[in-house]
Parts: sequence; structure tokens; C-alpha cells
Amino acid sequence: VQPPEKPLQAEEWNKLREDCQPPEKFEEVMLNNMIRCNSPIDVAKSLLTDLAKRNGDIAYNVLVKYLTLCVRQGQVSEIRDVYDIMKVRFKVLESGAYNLLIRGLSNSDQWRMALTLLEEVKKIMIPSRTCYESCIKAASCHQEMKLAFELYDEMLAKDVVPTLGILQSFFDFSRHMKDEELQKKLFGILLYLRENQIYPHKTFMQSIKLWFESIPGGNWRGHLTNIKDSGQCPVCNHQLEDSNLTEEEYSNLSERIIKDVIHGTDTFRKTSPQEFEAFQTFVENQLPFDIVIDGLNVSHIKPRRMQCENLFDAVNCLAKENARLLVLGRKHMLRNSSNWKIEIMKEMQNKADFFFAENISDDDAFLLYATLRSGKHCKFVTRDFLRDHKACLSDSGMRHLFRKWQRGHQIAFSASAEGSIKFLPAFRYDCVVQTTGDTWHIPYKDVFEEKYSYQVPTKWLCIRQK
Amino acid sequence: MQSANMLLRKIVRSSVLPFAAQHGMKKDLFPLSRTLSLSLCLKQDKSCEPSEKLDLDAWKKVMKSGFQEEVSETVSEPKEPSSLAAASEMLEMWRLSGRLVPENITEEQLKTFMECPSKSAKKKYLKFLHLKELYKKRKMDKKMERRLEAQDQDSKTDETKRNSIIYLQTSTMDKAYNWRAAQSMIFGQPLVFDMSYEKEMSDREVANTVRQIVLSESCNRRSADPFHIHFCNFKDDSLYHREFIKQYREGWGKLLITVTDQCYTEIFPKDKLIYLTADSPKVMKTFDHNKIYIVGSMVDKSIKTGVSLARAKRLQLETAALPLDKYLLWSTGAKNLTLDQMMHILLTLKDTADWNKALEFVPKRKYSGFVNKPVNKPVKELKKTLDLINALKLRKRPEEVQKQFAKNYPKKYKLK
Repeated sequence: VQPPEKPLQAEEWNKLREDCQPPEKFEEVMLNNMIRCNSPIDVAKSLLTDLAKRNGDIAYNVLVKYLTLCVRQGQVSEIRDVYDIMKVRFKVLESGAYNLLIRGLSNSDQWRMALTLLEEVKKIMIPSRTCYESCIKAASCHQEMKLAFELYDEMLAKDVVPTLGILQSFFDFSRHMKDEELQKKLFGILLYLRENQIYPHKTFMQSIKLWFESIPGGNWRGHLTNIKDSGQCPVCNHQLEDSNLTEEEYSNLSERIIKDVIHGTDTFRKTSPQEFEAFQTFVENQLPFDIVIDGLNVSHIKPRRMQCENLFDAVNCLAKENARLLVLGRKHMLRNSSNWKIEIMKEMQNKADFFFAENISDDDAFLLYATLRSGKHCKFVTRDFLRDHKACLSDSGMRHLFRKWQRGHQIAFSASAEGSIKFLPAFRYDCVVQTTGDTWHIPYKDVFEEKYSYQVPTKWLCIRQK
Repeated sequence: MQSANMLLRKIVRSSVLPFAAQHGMKKDLFPLSRTLSLSLCLKQDKSCEPSEKLDLDAWKKVMKSGFQEEVSETVSEPKEPSSLAAASEMLEMWRLSGRLVPENITEEQLKTFMECPSKSAKKKYLKFLHLKELYKKRKMDKKMERRLEAQDQDSKTDETKRNSIIYLQTSTMDKAYNWRAAQSMIFGQPLVFDMSYEKEMSDREVANTVRQIVLSESCNRRSADPFHIHFCNFKDDSLYHREFIKQYREGWGKLLITVTDQCYTEIFPKDKLIYLTADSPKVMKTFDHNKIYIVGSMVDKSIKTGVSLARAKRLQLETAALPLDKYLLWSTGAKNLTLDQMMHILLTLKDTADWNKALEFVPKRKYSGFVNKPVNKPVKELKKTLDLINALKLRKRPEEVQKQFAKNYPKKYKLK
């Protein structure tokens, strides 16, 4: 049903109500349509008036729907009135109404009222991130940066993940301010992006750039750029960080890979204790490798060729300059079949070390282990994104480490048109917000560009101090 | 003026007065005075606009005036500081706002609700309770209906009641079933339920598991040639045990099955055991009457692959999966079936050795048809066409596809 354009009289509402099936849902359906069409608020008011006269009461959900309409149109006095009515009528409100009230009031000159409402919410539950967003934006919009940061710290302490909108508003509203304390806080936000491997989007990046350039006496200049494959910034010639982990991080990660990924809840799920032990002794005796290859993954690259030929090509391609290769496979590869020829397998075994896992074991877990044990220089070859293994890691810190390590050590590949295999080298640099004190390099994504967890942005913001 | 008066009268009649009456405030002049002031402002409205006009804020006055008294009441009430009360108030508000929340909630459920680790977990739990309540209500309604119907019939035909063939039948059937089950305990082929997955499951999953086993047991009892059911690795006073008692009540002690805390490997020779698991690389070809099949008693809502395969690997048992892909054109859903579906399938296999018949018990939504049945030829044809379309989309070897197309279809369809 199309909501009416003008306020209606009771009789007219009655007429409309009669057409609705079922009639009890009439108000809800009508208000939903009003919200959708953004109808004038007077129309909704006339409906409420009719309702009040019929029943002497208006149901909570109807009030919330009306509130939605008011918030959408920024009718501050109405929002206040609805709040007064709700407060008188109900002991507590639920999260939906609070969200709306806070959002509605924070955009007005009564924004402090939103703060008191936030306090009220805190008494009964943890406020949502959008509640915090509204309040923080309101506070920083009115130059109350200290208050905004208090709220920000508070939400972090409560494990509420801040929206990018919150972070952006800090940069937007801190321009041209000469305040050491404030600067430190904003650098802290940039480091938060770094730690959590968050990439700002284009408009957020612009806010960061503008803020840097606006710092009085800071002499910061920002440039948009693409980083070279070598990891050098074309603007300032600075070499970006690599993805190498520290010794401690490295050993932590290998430990957790063994514990969470390989053993998990039951060693038998991915391998068996005997097999894993055999693999461990094998790896320890042959260490270190330069490249570890996921044999089965590589063998599927060109579907119309024999699988062992695919693998053979890949091994030949990678076996240059005396690199030590390890190929992981499964036992069925050793059985002569249409896809796996014994002669070719034999020839390959002269060029690389092989380990064959049981047919029902998970070879990826071995791949990770062998690469990590070989040391920082060792790379691995697979097209797999390893998302399932990342998911096995129990805490987010470890997952970030894993991602960082994966970016710097995974060699992906693709079949080129001429029939050869093209290997895409691992990143020489780490794609993460980074600083040297007088330079900042911030990767960002275009808003419209789709980004999967394994993709990293190619565009960068280079900021340096003159 | 007249319309304003009308309005005023309506307000008085419809809302405020009954409310005041409800609260025994008839003598209080308060509502009247309020309406008077209301009429005043209505008058002003009228003076500036002569045409018939609505007072758009009238609802606010109604809402505010109606509940002044209630507020004073609630204020005098001692405030409950307990978090339980606060949570239940919160739930009430959620219910009013139209969320899926149960109408009644026990204290225990409220505690479980508060212990939910996240907002979405809370929401999910409430939805679960809400649906449970809904089903229960519907069931009760149906029961009432049936009872009424039965009463009607009773009054109509009193003879059937006296002539109690039906009652006799059910009890004799029960006896016959039990007799068969008892026989199966001596001569029947064993079927093992592995009850060692309690740690892998949430409480709700355990409850679901037990429910499915109860269904399996009853369909086994009713079959012509039942299995001898074994519950192995069954710990006393485990969550399984408690749930079984909840389901069977006193019937638990009288079940004609073997319950043991021993492992199946201790009871049966290892080479006779076959662990049925969807993750198995081996596919079952025929039902072997000399083997002992093991079914893992596990409901797995959060996709934990390879748990039962790991168990079989650890004990070095043979494993097998149902040949679902061989007989069915699988469309959606996981290949793991519920325990009662497994039981139906195994019973049918045992009696008939007919895979097509046995796999009828796989839920229909999961497959689009049987592979070999002539009735489903169109499905096969459809698959062929789909493959063709896909090949065209990918633009692989266009000449080859064209040739194939020409072979399969008459000349009037031409590829461009």
C-alpha cells in the first residue's frame, strides 16, 4: 500500500484499515511503508493520533517505527517528545530504540543528551559500535576531542571494534590543531590500523592525508603512489618493511601451527602420530629447504595435461640455481596410473626431495611445517589461500602473524597462454601501515574495488616530512 | 467548534476515562481538567485555521496523560537490583519491539541466556526458545482438537469403546515387537552406536543426538528383523545418559538393547567392525550380514570434518561411506545423514539389499533424483545441457562443443 501524502482523518484511516489484511498489522505495515517512502512526518502523526483515539494507547513497536521516521528526517523535537513518552510509559527501553535515539540526537544541537543516553545504555548492556560512532562523531564534531577519545578508549576496553567511520572522524575533526597530545593519539590510531592489518578506504585515506598536511609547522606532504615490486616507494625512495617475523614471533607461529593446525583436537584428524613423527625426522634430516611445493596443487594447473607432467614442469622451472626443493604429495602418486607415470616420478625425485603422506592425510599442514622449520628464507608454492588453516589458529594475533608470514613467503602461480607456468613471486615488502618517524606509508583500497582477505591493496599513500 | 468537541468527547470516552476507571480514580478530576486544557488549545488551533484540522500531537497528550498514575506506582515500588530481573525486563521490551522472543521464560533459561558469550548467541538462543514455545503451543492446540474430536466420537458410538479391539491390538503389537527385539538380542546382527562424542558437542547437539537415537531405536524395534543395538563407550551419568532418561523416563531400564561402557573393539573382533562415516575414502558396495557396523552418535552443527574418521583411524578400523553419489544426483546439503535416517537405510539394506529402496530415506531436498531410474531421465538430460551451457560460457574449445551440440540436438537449433 502506498502511504497517503497528507494527514488523514479518522474515517479515512478506517477506510484504509479495512483494506488491510490482517487489520491488526495495519499500523505496522503502514509505518514500514512510510519509512520506505520517507513520508512527511505529519502523515505518521495523524496515524498515531487515530491509533491513540482508538485504543488509548500506542504499542511500543509502533512508537519505535515512528521514531525511525523522525530520526531519518532529523526531527529533533519529535525525537525528544517520543523519548519523554517512552520514558514515562516503559521502565527500560531496548537496544533498537536507544540506537535510534542516540543516532537522532547526536546529529543535533542536543548532542549532549545522546551522551547521557549512552550512559543509560551502559547500565543495561554493552552499547553497540554504532552508538559509540554517533556519540564520538558528535563529540569530535563539537571539538570535544578529549571526550571523543575517552569514549574511544572505553569502547576498545569493552572489546567493541570501532568502525572505520569513527577512526575517520578523528582525523576529519583534528585538522589544523596544534596539540602534541592529540597528535600522539592519532598516531596511535594509525598503529591500531597496523596491528589489526586494516586498510583504510579512499575517503578515509584522504582524511588522513589532509590531517597530516594541516598540522601547523609539521611540514608533512602526502603523495598517492604505487609501490614497486622491489618494495621501494617511488616518491621518497624509501624501502618498505619486509614480512619477516622476529625470532620470537617465528618460533611462536611454528609452535602454534604444530599445536593448532596439525594436532588440533585430535592428531588423527589430519594425520597420525606415527606419520607426523616420520615426517618430522625426515624434515630434520634434510633441512633446510629453499622452496616447499604442494605437489598435488601444482599438478592440477593445466587440466588437459597429465598431472605428473605439470608437476615435472613446475619442478624444472623452480630447480634453478641449486635451490633445494621439497615436494609434498600423497602415496597414490607413486602408483602407476594414467595421471602418474613412475618414470617421470623417478626422474623428479633426482631433482627434489619428496615426502608422500597417506592418501587421507592433510598435506597442507605438512607444507606449513616444513616451510617454517626451514627458516626465514624458505618459500612455499601453492595456489591454495590456506584460509582453513588460518582459521584453525586460536587467537587473532596469531592469525595476523600467519597472514603476514604468508604474504611474504607464498609463491602463487598461474598457467600463461603460451603454455608455461608463471610464478608470481612472494611480496618483497609487507603490505601494512608503517612508519619510520618522518615518513608514513599507508596502503589503501578504492571503495569500489572488491577485496578478499587474501588480496592486499596496491595503492599507497606516502607521507613524509620536509 | 463542533468537530473539536467531537474530538474531545472521543478522547474522553475512548481513552482517558476508562483508564482512570481502571485505577479507581473516578472521583479524581485530573483527567477532566486535562481535557479542558486540551480543548483550549484546540480552540486556538481553530481560530487560526478555519477549515477542519487535525490536532497532530493529540496522541502525545493521550500517551502522557494516560500513564501519569502508573509512574507514581512504579516509583513507589522498590527497585529490583538483581540482574535477572533486569534481563527479563529487557526481554519484555524486545518482545514488544517485535523481536523473536519467547513469552514465558524460566529462570534457568534466563541464566543460560545471560551466559551467552555474544549478542548474536543471545539472539539465536532467544529465537530457539521462541520457536520451541510456538511448536509447543501448536501441538497443544492440536491435542485439544483431537481430544474434542474423540469426545464427539465417543458420544456417537459407544460400541467401539466396549469392543476394545484397538487397545488389544496395540498392546499385542508391543509384545510382538518386544519379542522380536529380545530375539535380536540373542540372534540379531549387532549395530553399534559409538557414544564417545560428548566432548565434541554442545548441550543442544547432545539432546538432538539422543532424540535421533530414540527415533532409530523405535524404528528398529518395529522392523521385521531388528538389529541388536549396542551403545558402546557409554558412561553412566554422562550428558547422554541424562538426556536418555529425560526421553525414555522409566522405559530406559526396560529397553531391549545392550548398553556398555566398553569400547566396541573390546567386545567384537576388530576385523569384523566397519565404521560408517561420510568422510571415509571407501564407498560401501554391499551390505555385509557378517560385519558389525558402527555409527557415531554425533550431531555436528558446526562442521567438524573428520572427527569420526579420526576415531576409526586411531583404532585402525575399516571405514565406509554410503554410495550416495553413485545412486543419487546430489544437489545440496551435507552428506552426513541423521541417525534415524541411517537406521532406516541400514534396516532396508538388511532386508532387501536394494540401494535404491534404501536411499529413499535420504531427505528429498538433498538430491534431485536417482541416477539409474528411468523416470529421472529428464534430469540426466538436463545435466547434459547444463554441462554444455557451462562449457559454452567458459568458451572452451568451441568447435568441439558445437560438434557435440549437433550430435545431441536436431538441426533446427543452431549455435551462433
